[in-house]
Amino acid sequence: MAFVKKEITHARPAPLSERSVIGWMHKHLFSSFYNSILTIVTLYIIYITTKGLWVWGIADAVWIAESRRECFDISIDGACWAGVIAWMDNIFYGRYPKDELWRVNVGILLLIVWMLPLWLPRVKGKIFIAITLISFYPFLANYIFLGGESSFFSQFMVSAAIVSFVVIMLNAIIGVIQGQSISTFIATRLGSSLKSEKSQRNLNLALLIITFIIAFLWQQSWVLGEVPWTKWGGLFLTLVISGIGIATALPGGIILALGRRSKLPVIKVLSTTFIEVFRSVPLITVLFMATTMFPLFLPEGFVLNKLAQVIIAVCLFNAAYMAETVRGGLQTIPKGQYEGAHTIGLGYWGTMGLIVMPQALKNMIPNIVGNFISILKGTTLVSIIGLFDILGMLSSVSRDLSWIGLHKEPLLFGAMIFFILCALMSKYSRHLEAKLSTNRKT
Amino acid sequence: MKSNTPMDNNAAEEKLVSAASSEVIINIEKVNKWYDDFHVLKDIDLVVKKGERIVVCGPSGSGKSTLIRCINNLEEHQEGSIVVDGITLNKNLKNIDHIRTEVGMVFQNFNLFPHLSILDNLMLGPIWVRKMPKAEARATALEYLERVKIPEQADKFPGQLSGGQQQRVAIARSLCMNPKIMLFDEPTSALDPEMIKEVLDVMVELAETGMTMIVVTHEMNFAKTIADRVIFMDEGDIVEENEPLQFFNNPQHDRTKLFLSQIL
Repeated sequence: MAFVKKEITHARPAPLSERSVIGWMHKHLFSSFYNSILTIVTLYIIYITTKGLWVWGIADAVWIAESRRECFDISIDGACWAGVIAWMDNIFYGRYPKDELWRVNVGILLLIVWMLPLWLPRVKGKIFIAITLISFYPFLANYIFLGGESSFFSQFMVSAAIVSFVVIMLNAIIGVIQGQSISTFIATRLGSSLKSEKSQRNLNLALLIITFIIAFLWQQSWVLGEVPWTKWGGLFLTLVISGIGIATALPGGIILALGRRSKLPVIKVLSTTFIEVFRSVPLITVLFMATTMFPLFLPEGFVLNKLAQVIIAVCLFNAAYMAETVRGGLQTIPKGQYEGAHTIGLGYWGTMGLIVMPQALKNMIPNIVGNFISILKGTTLVSIIGLFDILGMLSSVSRDLSWIGLHKEPLLFGAMIFFILCALMSKYSRHLEAKLSTNRKT
Repeated sequence: MKSNTPMDNNAAEEKLVSAASSEVIINIEKVNKWYDDFHVLKDIDLVVKKGERIVVCGPSGSGKSTLIRCINNLEEHQEGSIVVDGITLNKNLKNIDHIRTEVGMVFQNFNLFPHLSILDNLMLGPIWVRKMPKAEARATALEYLERVKIPEQADKFPGQLSGGQQQRVAIARSLCMNPKIMLFDEPTSALDPEMIKEVLDVMVELAETGMTMIVVTHEMNFAKTIADRVIFMDEGDIVEENEPLQFFNNPQHDRTKLFLSQIL
């Protein structure tokens, strides 16, 4: 019964049914008689619903009108988008003064441009970008959005933000063109006069100080009228609250999760209590507590505005949720990874920061982004305690005398905005997962 | 016994010359350890000389892995003293961290860091623990990759390598820290028969450099080739201890005889 193979079997392409569109349809949509019927019925249901939506939302809709009355006169069955268009500025910016809207745009644009180099592979010094973004941008944004008199400290931080922004932009441009960081670029341009690392560092420091002084003098001439937070609203306010919530949730969650797994009993008990208390209470309760009870705990005469209280509440609440997500991620890391790290001499922070956290966070990307999405959606609850975020603004449309009773259209518009924002986030998370995956075989 | 490692043929002739000196590098005295109520190590005494190569064997659950894991404090012992390179292992975290930088360890499951490339796996310790400049760490890493014969895999990730290659990377990762002692915890037990040889070859080469090694393994031909001493453990005790030829040809204790008859 001996058998010895003599020729090699060559690989052949897969049969047509696996590769063509018709093959795919045959396999997935019309594989049997009942499946074919199911497909046709489903298509018919989709047709009916989208047709209704199409006729109401687009075909019969009114785009230009002065009031809801006028909308009805033109088309009784169509959507009245004119109302949404008339309220567009309010939906995006709340009651922020019309002449100052550019400040909101500039602030958000600065944030985007600041982060942009993080995605450019040739740019060096990404940690610097992230650190300055977290430590200086909030002050710059605060000044741009709020305006008014600014303290010396705020001026100092604003100047630091300007300097970092300029450095990051130059660094990004040089990085894209030359593939170098800005300091090596300066050093190579000046050539042999700067041999030692120390003189190079001194030069960089001197350049930084000079730009800082220029920036400081320059920003002193800025005059921005004060826009109190009560005028903030719409999508802008939603993004401010959820943006801060998102930015603090992950670091806060990491600290709490590590605290909960700590071997030190005091830290462990404190973290666990914090997490469990916040997780056992709905966000709306936390918000009410923050605005009514929080001031009781503050020293006499120290008044925090409602927005700050809400932001603190959102941050604490979401950090507690994120902590459990991160803890789940930490549990996916096998014990061997800790032991491997210990045997090369890494201590607790080295093991956590270099070995365990990067892997745990990577495993947790879908959950973390899911958390971010729920933070964004969850902030709409602030409309209940009287802040005019996007939901507050959308429901205000129906109380405008000209557009009285107009509910459906603004809410549908809001739903579309949320859908776009959330879809972008989850799309990016899937991209990130694919990019960071190291298990693939080449 | 897996018998297709070529070492079978003439292992006895290739017996390495002992590199043991008179200097004591590990001194274990009256060490006891319990997992909850289970007594895993019972009054263990062991003295290891610098350059000595020791093979530890025994049935599973005999405490052999626990013993070597106590040497770099991956497991804590409750009684007795362990002195490594003049430093006593106690609750002092500084001592533990210092000993861990002097003692390399290779595991059954490699425990490479899957999120880092091979080169980064090797450079991590030297850069973060030894504070070595990046360029130097890179050069060291490449040198050791060359020594374990896989320099071409430097930019791949652990998941893309075969088991034998991963284990060789793990050995190189430990060597990058320039340790005085190397511990091996069943380094070939998770490997396919074809890959065992490539790992054992690297270990034999390491033995030739005079490294102090403690190896937990069931590769008896490997033990015959490199060991200065073979230790047989059972139920938390060192039952028998002898130089390899005597150990294999003339075992004294009944338990040792039974064990050897089972595996040879």
